[in-house]
Amino acid sequence: MKYILNKVVYLALVLLLALSGVFIMVNKMPGDPAYGLAVSISQQRNMEIDKALEIAHQMMGINPNESLITRYIRFTTNLLKGNFGYSTYYQASVNEIIAKALPWTLFVISLATFISFFVGIYLGAFSAQKRGKIIDIVISAVSSIIQAIPPFVLAVLILFVGAVQLKIIPLGGAYPIDVEPSFSINFIIKVLHHAIGPLLATAIPQIAAWTLAMRGNTSQVMEEDFIRFAQIRGLKDSTIANKYIKNNAMLPLVASLAITIGYMLGGHTLVEAIFNYPGIGFYFGKAIAFRDFGLLTGLFSLIVIGVIITTFIAELLYAMIDPRVRLK
Amino acid sequence: MKNKSGFFYNVIKPLTSNKKALIGLIITLFFILMATIGPLIIKLDMNSDFANRYQKPSLKHLFGTDYFGIDIFAQIVHGSRSVISLTLLASFFAVTIGTVIGILKGYLEGFLGKVVDAFITVFLVIPSFPALLILAAIFSNTKLNAVEVALIVATWLWAPLAKQVSAQVLSIKSKEFIESSKMLNMGLRYILFSDILPLIMPYIFVNFITQLKGAMEFTIGLMFLGLAKFDSTHWGIMLNYSLYQAGALYTPKGFHYPFFIILNIVLLIYGGILLAQGIEEVFNPKLRGHE
Repeated sequence: MKYILNKVVYLALVLLLALSGVFIMVNKMPGDPAYGLAVSISQQRNMEIDKALEIAHQMMGINPNESLITRYIRFTTNLLKGNFGYSTYYQASVNEIIAKALPWTLFVISLATFISFFVGIYLGAFSAQKRGKIIDIVISAVSSIIQAIPPFVLAVLILFVGAVQLKIIPLGGAYPIDVEPSFSINFIIKVLHHAIGPLLATAIPQIAAWTLAMRGNTSQVMEEDFIRFAQIRGLKDSTIANKYIKNNAMLPLVASLAITIGYMLGGHTLVEAIFNYPGIGFYFGKAIAFRDFGLLTGLFSLIVIGVIITTFIAELLYAMIDPRVRLK
Repeated sequence: MKNKSGFFYNVIKPLTSNKKALIGLIITLFFILMATIGPLIIKLDMNSDFANRYQKPSLKHLFGTDYFGIDIFAQIVHGSRSVISLTLLASFFAVTIGTVIGILKGYLEGFLGKVVDAFITVFLVIPSFPALLILAAIFSNTKLNAVEVALIVATWLWAPLAKQVSAQVLSIKSKEFIESSKMLNMGLRYILFSDILPLIMPYIFVNFITQLKGAMEFTIGLMFLGLAKFDSTHWGIMLNYSLYQAGALYTPKGFHYPFFIILNIVLLIYGGILLAQGIEEVFNPKLRGHE
């Protein structure tokens, strides 16, 4: 219990430091979120840009004279109350935007993780058991090549081949704009169809990573003495493969599942921006483009909190699986 | 057996006898040659020549021409210089920062050690790609030099290494010779950098190689995302141009433009991965039996 309490206090400190870093970084960004509005005001009403900027600031509820420290204090106290801030561009609270966007992100991330974990575990174990054969060499080589493709390049390739050339996946959105969300089969199919692009872009590198990790673990476990003993005891090959090798090779990977989900929350930003998929990353990209500092800090804080929580869960899982960690 | 203890037998021989390391070495050497002597042999003419727009690959234009009718192969060759130098530089910075902070964390105890540890964790929990997106926006109007770009990239690479190094230091710290150095009052700097550093040097070298993949992916990503005020033949910037400015994705004639850029990026990273895996197998015999 003391281990957990220490950990929580420590992570709260890390969280505070990380969020301060994020806050400083975001506020170092050049550009005024009100500038675009100011330009259109000055054109419409035929007035000087400085005057228009003042009006725009008022309309968007921005106080340019407010000091960085005041803003920082407001940001942290709001966060403590669970308030992620206010988006000047969307004229809505960041919590509302998160409530709208997070389900889509979690939907794609969890589905991708689920699929890729099982496919990767299977391929990795299969590959290790066929060690040296053609099929093993092909699986390992393809996995390594996929690992060599930067994720954003892969996403662009999938968008290009699937949406532009073959026209089999939609160019953006979570579902067609002319369809009302409902719990019908038709709607669910449309949602899945729109998720294919981001799903593939997220799952393919993950499959390769799990495959290689599982292959390595399986190979190592296969060398262990207790496998020899099991063979000497005359257990069936399939029992050894499934109960002894696969389970032991898989355990450490189960613990890293949580961490993967956390990091995907950050990595998904790019995929969603490329596929115009209305999750957290999509709004993150918009927030940068429109210099919406409130939305940007809010979403970034959410991502960092997600990473910290999942890292914590992963560490607990490690401690549960491997007692040696607990003793430290 | 004295003649078998040299650099050749300890480093070169095992590397060339490991299949992965050998292929990785050949690929990376090819790109290093491209970056060093390539630009001297292949001339780059950046003047637009619209009559030659989107020429198919041929003997005259090995990778075809781009939207402006400029030879793509020549651009790739000239760009390899900034791609490779930025990657090496970023990886070097990351390894240096990670090693110094990692040794500090491993050696310091009590409150100070905790503070350094929290500092490392902060950089571990801030996801790199959203951070890079913001950095790209911050620097989108500034012309950066290679050292500055490399430092930006290194900021998001050093933390995992620091964690690993500190774990290594923790295990070395309890050894007797450190105790004797302490009793001789050798000073913290001596213990950290003369006693401990040489012992983890091989480990750091391997990490430098494995770090290259991340360094290259991040530099290319940063350029691709629009940190464009840099060498315009850098592959990340070329990719950005080909996909977003020239619209090569939407014309069937321009397909080869992004294709050859991506091919070179993937081949170079793949070579690096093979080399890293090979080197790890060579220096970590435990892994060798499984291949």
